[in-house]
Amino acid sequence: MNFSKYLDDCREKCRELVNILGADFDYVGVLGEDSQNLRVFSDKRTSGITEGQGYCGFVVKLSNGGAVYEYSFDDFSLSPKEIAAKAVSSLKTTEKMKSNTISAKFPEFEKMTKSFKRDSDFDDYSEEELLSFCSSLKDEILSSEKNALNAQAIIVTRRDSKLFVSKDRELDQVYGWANSYMILTVSDEEGKIVSARENVNSVNLKDVFEELPKLKGKLIKKANCLLTAKPIEPGVYDVITDSSITGLIAHEAFGHGVEMDQFVKDRALAKKFVGDYVASPIASMHDGASATLSAASYFFDDDGILAHDTTIIKDGILVSGLCDLTSACQLGVEPTGNGRRQSFKRKAYARMTNTFFSDGTDKLEDMIKSVKHGYMLFETNNGMEDPKNWQIQCTAEYGIEIINGKLTDNYVAPVVMSGYVPDLLKSITMISDGGKVIGSGMCGKGYKEWVRVSDGGPCLKVRVKLA
Amino acid sequence: MINVEKILKENKSLDGYRINTSKTTSYENFYVKGKLETVRATETEDVNATVYTSHDGKTGVSSFNVPHSMDENGLRTAAEKAAHRANLVFNEKFPLAEAGEVSREIHSDVKNYAPEVLSEKIANAVFSCETGEEGKINALEIFIYKHENSVVNSNGVNKSETKYSVMVEAIPTWNEKDESVELYEAIHFTSFDEDKLKAEIAEKMREVRDRKHAVLPDEKKFDFILFRKKEIAELLDNLAGDFNYRTVYSRSNVFKKGDLLQNNPTGDKLTITMQAEADGCRYSALFDADGVTLKDKTVVKDGKVVSYYGGNRFGSYLKEEITGELSCIVVEKGSLTDSDLSGKKYLECVSLSGLQVDLFNDYIGGEIRLAYMHKGDEVVPVTGIAFSGKLSDALSTMRLSASVDVEENYVGPDMMTVEKMNVV
Repeated sequence: MNFSKYLDDCREKCRELVNILGADFDYVGVLGEDSQNLRVFSDKRTSGITEGQGYCGFVVKLSNGGAVYEYSFDDFSLSPKEIAAKAVSSLKTTEKMKSNTISAKFPEFEKMTKSFKRDSDFDDYSEEELLSFCSSLKDEILSSEKNALNAQAIIVTRRDSKLFVSKDRELDQVYGWANSYMILTVSDEEGKIVSARENVNSVNLKDVFEELPKLKGKLIKKANCLLTAKPIEPGVYDVITDSSITGLIAHEAFGHGVEMDQFVKDRALAKKFVGDYVASPIASMHDGASATLSAASYFFDDDGILAHDTTIIKDGILVSGLCDLTSACQLGVEPTGNGRRQSFKRKAYARMTNTFFSDGTDKLEDMIKSVKHGYMLFETNNGMEDPKNWQIQCTAEYGIEIINGKLTDNYVAPVVMSGYVPDLLKSITMISDGGKVIGSGMCGKGYKEWVRVSDGGPCLKVRVKLA
Repeated sequence: MINVEKILKENKSLDGYRINTSKTTSYENFYVKGKLETVRATETEDVNATVYTSHDGKTGVSSFNVPHSMDENGLRTAAEKAAHRANLVFNEKFPLAEAGEVSREIHSDVKNYAPEVLSEKIANAVFSCETGEEGKINALEIFIYKHENSVVNSNGVNKSETKYSVMVEAIPTWNEKDESVELYEAIHFTSFDEDKLKAEIAEKMREVRDRKHAVLPDEKKFDFILFRKKEIAELLDNLAGDFNYRTVYSRSNVFKKGDLLQNNPTGDKLTITMQAEADGCRYSALFDADGVTLKDKTVVKDGKVVSYYGGNRFGSYLKEEITGELSCIVVEKGSLTDSDLSGKKYLECVSLSGLQVDLFNDYIGGEIRLAYMHKGDEVVPVTGIAFSGKLSDALSTMRLSASVDVEENYVGPDMMTVEKMNVV
């Protein structure tokens, strides 16, 4: 997998743009993005090979120590001088705005010129092979399940090339990631309809081809069990989380609250708790594009800051947050490589990457045995952050009742966890080994700014309100 | 920019094509604690080409992006590759959208303002709702958009529209005794009404003050729960998706034509019409991505599913009337008025983390960040609770207000009450 030829061809123009705008601004950074997305799918009655949302364009970031200015564009057929003029004319402000800005002095950066590459095997597979794989998988699922209304098999590959040029830095990176899914929709005799899904996500399609078919039986069994699912009796329960729900807690319940642009805005309670216990002393949590290899692994962020592995919680104590460049300038701290944009068209915010709890030493069997009456929860559905007030809303696709230390056949769905975040994190009494980070998620900030993330970790034993 | 249509026409292996172009210019301001943090401007153009081939009695389809980086030779190669991909796809035959031309600007007054001037007016209006040191707007984001969308196809579709919209995301925060709480507010509009904007932000400021003083409720049994327009819009969006031809064709719709959405209704009967345009709704459009001119359709009448709606491809598979992908959900007003609420014991939800609606599992629920507990004349702000129940119970007991408003793609009653919900 090679770095974008187009971005490479624009490299000199980016340097010129930095030089031209550098005459008027202390800080000038240019990010170029060329991202391609291929979606191959097959279901009972349709199929397709289609390019998904791709991005190809540039964003210029400018500062003189006050407000930050950004101009996003995708037509680089104009000269750098013309682009610079368009940027300045588009970024007009009124006199009142000019007199009422933040103060954000950008630091000097270590000089660096470097290319980064993470290979994927996407080019080893033809589109015919991908479609044939999806089609066969879908047919096998449909022929194995008499109650099937529909089955889908989907593979999505994404290739990202990014170029960052500033006075001090010239960085480029190329990497890929593949998501694959099987979704089965079944109905029972009374007309109840449910869907179940399984997924495999990896740097390489080889893993998808090997692992996804192995999950067919699990998918079919799960869909049929979900047909029997009942609503949960609302209440407070002992709960064992699977890796997906652990990740949901790490990400939604806590992670958003340590995105440090929220510290600048006084929008995160976590700001007051750095150095304090916020979780059980047996719990530790990380985030970072270089913390593990998953969907949000990259080499430098959208501000040209190298990827980090940040310890957020160590032994129950809040250690550090996650920071983008602009917020770091306002807070007077080092950025942590978490400045991410939905695309070159959008602003960079402090965003999570791969966020997960560290493994413990307990065995899952022992954790289940320790529950007299409770639930094991599975599979992220969605969640909503509330960093200012630390309220949780996290939804699991389904739960299985645990009675006297044993998993039963009693399914409940869906299940919403709610409560106060530190209460939940401090209620962690057991942590399993063998945690997994699941790289299939998309994350918004509030209700917009979608970026790819992963999250996960081991199974946790917690006590939480379910409804 | 290269002439995409000319090059697609040259490709003899294609039996049809469609080109969608979306040009966006934006002006954006980001404020942090009253000070301007970031000024952004964007000028971008997305071009997407879809090609169709007829083979083996089937229709092949594939689409690709045409970025500015692509030259004419690159486009010829991409078109050839897309034709090859389309030949691997065996879909039931369907026609392209029928020929037609239209070009119009959807009503808005946003274009009458220089963007930085409008943005300053919006910021002034929002910050004017601050109340001393206690009630603050900790973060404010303003997005002013101009969208120019067009679609052409090989059948002779040539349609374009220009739309303007504004999004305001504000975070009202209440600070008191070294503690503070916040609420989230996103407001979308297509015409600037300073007084309306001020009223909405001021109301949120009062609510965030109440959130600061909210307590756990001393009881959890209520006559009904009252929801506002945001949650009603979320519920209706979930329901509307179930009536789309795409959902019906994939056989994953829960409600079928002829089904009663509301069994033995004790409240107001639902009537839902999917519309192309609705006043003040930023989702208003003349045509969909296929180039089909949108045609309004009533999908639920008096609580009964009477029709489906949707685009060209799945509509033709189902042999249904093609309405286009309608986005505006318009619900008839109901009978609920303030006098019906008087003296009742109910929970008025002001802010939820998000409404969870699961049609498959007959579920509705959510975590309540702020609600007002009404007991006769007493009104107490409460927090730290969640509600859940059967969606079917919510639908059968719902009462809808006689007053209406716009929320995202929803236009209809701005209050809804439902019964038989659990609060924990």
